[in-house]
Amino acid sequence: MAEVTPSEKQQLSESTVPMGFNVIVREFKKDKVAISSLVIIIVLLSIAFIGSAIIDTRELMKVDILNQYANPSSQHWLGTDISGRDVFGELIVGAKNSILIGFSITIITSIVGVSVGIISGYYGGIVDNILMRIVDFVMILPMQMLIIVFVTIIPKYNIFSFVTIMSAFYWVGKARLFRSKTLSEGRKDYVSASKTLGTGDIKIMFREVMPNLSSLIITNLTINFAANIGIETGLSFLGFGLPSDVPSLGTLIGFAKDSDVLVNKTWVWLPASLFVLIMMLSINYVGQALGRSADAKQRLG
Amino acid sequence: MSELLRLNDLKIHYPIRSGFFNRITDYVYAVDGVTLTLERGKTYGLIGESGSGKSTIGKSVVGLEKVTSGEVVYEGNDVTKRSVRKATKYNQDVQMIFQDSMSSLNPKKRVIDIIAEPIRNFENLTDLEEKKRVQEMLDIVGMPTDSLYKYPHEFSGGQRQRLGVARAVATSPKLIVADEPVSALDLSVQAQVLNFMKHIQQQYDLSYLFISHDLGVVKYMCDNLAIMHKGRFVEVGTREDIYTNPQHIYTKRLLSAIPKIDVENREQHKAQRRAVELEYQDLISDYYDENGRVYDLQDISSTHKAAVIHRESEGV
Amino acid sequence: MWKTILRRVILMIPQIIILSMFIFALAKAMPGDPFTGLITPNTDPNRIEELREEAGLNDPWPTQYVNWVKKAVKGDFGVSYVKKMPVSRVIADKAVNTIWLSTFALILTYAIALPFGMLAGRYQNSFFDRFVVAYNYISFAVPPFVLSLLMMYAFGYKLAWFPTNGSGTVGIPHGTLEFYVDKFQHIILPAITQALLATAVTIQYLRTEVIDSKGLDYVKTARSKGVPEGKVYTRHIFRNASLPVASTFGYEITGLIGGSIFIETIFGYPGIGKLFIDSLNGRDYSVITALVLILGIATLVGTLLSDIILSIVDPRIRIQ
Repeated sequence: MAEVTPSEKQQLSESTVPMGFNVIVREFKKDKVAISSLVIIIVLLSIAFIGSAIIDTRELMKVDILNQYANPSSQHWLGTDISGRDVFGELIVGAKNSILIGFSITIITSIVGVSVGIISGYYGGIVDNILMRIVDFVMILPMQMLIIVFVTIIPKYNIFSFVTIMSAFYWVGKARLFRSKTLSEGRKDYVSASKTLGTGDIKIMFREVMPNLSSLIITNLTINFAANIGIETGLSFLGFGLPSDVPSLGTLIGFAKDSDVLVNKTWVWLPASLFVLIMMLSINYVGQALGRSADAKQRLG
Repeated sequence: MSELLRLNDLKIHYPIRSGFFNRITDYVYAVDGVTLTLERGKTYGLIGESGSGKSTIGKSVVGLEKVTSGEVVYEGNDVTKRSVRKATKYNQDVQMIFQDSMSSLNPKKRVIDIIAEPIRNFENLTDLEEKKRVQEMLDIVGMPTDSLYKYPHEFSGGQRQRLGVARAVATSPKLIVADEPVSALDLSVQAQVLNFMKHIQQQYDLSYLFISHDLGVVKYMCDNLAIMHKGRFVEVGTREDIYTNPQHIYTKRLLSAIPKIDVENREQHKAQRRAVELEYQDLISDYYDENGRVYDLQDISSTHKAAVIHRESEGV
Repeated sequence: MWKTILRRVILMIPQIIILSMFIFALAKAMPGDPFTGLITPNTDPNRIEELREEAGLNDPWPTQYVNWVKKAVKGDFGVSYVKKMPVSRVIADKAVNTIWLSTFALILTYAIALPFGMLAGRYQNSFFDRFVVAYNYISFAVPPFVLSLLMMYAFGYKLAWFPTNGSGTVGIPHGTLEFYVDKFQHIILPAITQALLATAVTIQYLRTEVIDSKGLDYVKTARSKGVPEGKVYTRHIFRNASLPVASTFGYEITGLIGGSIFIETIFGYPGIGKLFIDSLNGRDYSVITALVLILGIATLVGTLLSDIILSIVDPRIRIQ
């Protein structure tokens, strides 16, 4: 009876669906824009990280008031800013900072959000109720404003406190998303099976359920990464992001709040704006392509 | 006669919340006072229409469903509490086979990891020993060796269900709750899986709690039967008791509904079904109380019980 | 349905209470109190201390909180440290501008999003659909401040089609036609920018909904009855597809309020978003506290509105 019956053989070949990484590779091969986006991201990241390894930040941030708003030249490729600092250098170091901060916030919020979501959805009942009431409350706060207020009233303000404040607000959306996914995943029998097989709750949540949410986690991570870079540069732009002695893309773009800079000294803000724009567009596109490969209905083929 | 597991007046009620403050206004009586004794090496069939509470009983036996009141006694311990299940070998001794083989196997895990899951939880084996054990399990259910590193979606429904059986047997359990194990499969594959289950039962001296709505399958598999309706047992007995001497009107109705391939006497069967249906409509008040609840079981013979009110015992 | 709405409103009360406590704690963490604004080099420090005592600022916190809430309910948020006038008046002045801007932005948003979403869904994979999808993707990904700056640079300065600062030219008498035309000119660029950013969600929803509806039985029924193709879309599909879109209305408002911080700062438009940033830069804490509270409640109401609309248009939500 060990032989495979013909009907089974047929079903067997039909059900050989490609899974996981292969699907992503196939999806990207079909999508030229996604590949170009990926290449752009890699190039921009390399420039930012290799460049800032070479540049001496302290030297870069030295004020040279005589050299204020110098035009682009062979010495300063993108000219200088209000304090006579080299814009090109600031752009590179700022890009690295913005990327790193966006990344840290994404990682922290993902760890917290995904964990809370899975725990909430898996246990249900009182645990779920308490966690979701907290999530509901944070969700309805005017987050952007509160972050700005916190930034102004925190006494010893630095990069670390900025990341903490941002993370404290932005984990909730993820928690809610992954709770609802866990709820539907947890109804499947393999979770019940694991319970009857004597597997512990923690192991079921993070070794059984979580792998089944992995494609969503990756997609969500990517799009969030772009969003967090946007939020960081936006707040720095307003002057409530990174401390002023830390180069950031947002601070560079923020010089354009002065209409003279906006109109006559485009070299200060335009490159940083374009950098952010291209970065966001590429990361989002890659994120969407990942999302498509996770969803069989939307796959290109 | 060695008792393996006993359900003692088991009740599982779900609250219905409604109204402005979401207060509990009523209960769904999914299982309402069920008593049953399972013996070693035998197969018990739990039969009933969907919503009758048969799956709920199965789930409560393996500890997936919280019991409202009553006991599940295993080797002298009430295992309705999670702590008791953990302290004893209960989780190892009682396993489950699920109806939907696709959803009961984690799609992100390879076969070796799926079948090794209970082994890893209960035993300390080296990788090599573990692999050998998984291999043995696959042999028992007749799956080829190269299945080890495949994913569940690479198999057909029947093969997946055999994997489910292999996983349940991996800890050498004493009781397996099989919740409609073959109702999602093609008829030809059903027999195959059932035969494996029977074969394993002889090899391991297993008991099955076999939950099904398919009377044909149950007749083939089970020594003893319990017919459920509206969360209660209407009739309990051996296979012969139930099939040859049904007492409760619901059992009769259920048996008459088995389709018969007997073209010659088609009209006769039809008439018989009609008669039973009429009887059911007529006598419904004799078999259910004014709230539509099934009566308590009465002894018919030493093995046979039915929820009927004896005419002669009326007024007691 | 009234029960659902009432329950939802009652659920909001604890949220408002916790929000107000949170903001009260925040306000206490900020430096300064209502009398800091009164201090001039000639004030007697003892006199200030007396005033503080009188105003109850030395009372225990719970008492202070209750008094603060009582006043806030009446619209009394104290005095602006910087502007030396009641906070409520400072905010009311600017709120008018933001309401105008948001209204225009909202109208523009739907004026763009509804036809774009419907047509893109109807002619799926056409050239227009591809354009809408690309536009949508950019609108979703572009950071608001980058778009605002580029719009400002291109249309405000380089092409000089629109004024680049304020909400109106000083010196034009109120009520004249010229006055309104001038106001409109000031509002149009920030409103377009805001609308371009806000359309993404609505278009996405509508397009997907239309594509999903195309093959449904009720649409086939309509076609088989001989309803003209155009009417199938305007009468049958649009009605059903507009449900999820309607429910995003409240969130849309919330989003506009949040987005106003960037837009108003960049376009120099004197609304509450700009007031918020100006107050922070001027350390005008009484105004900041009041703004956070008011906008916090506005966010709550926006969410509530969306939930209510959803429960009206989608009966399935109500049963829960």
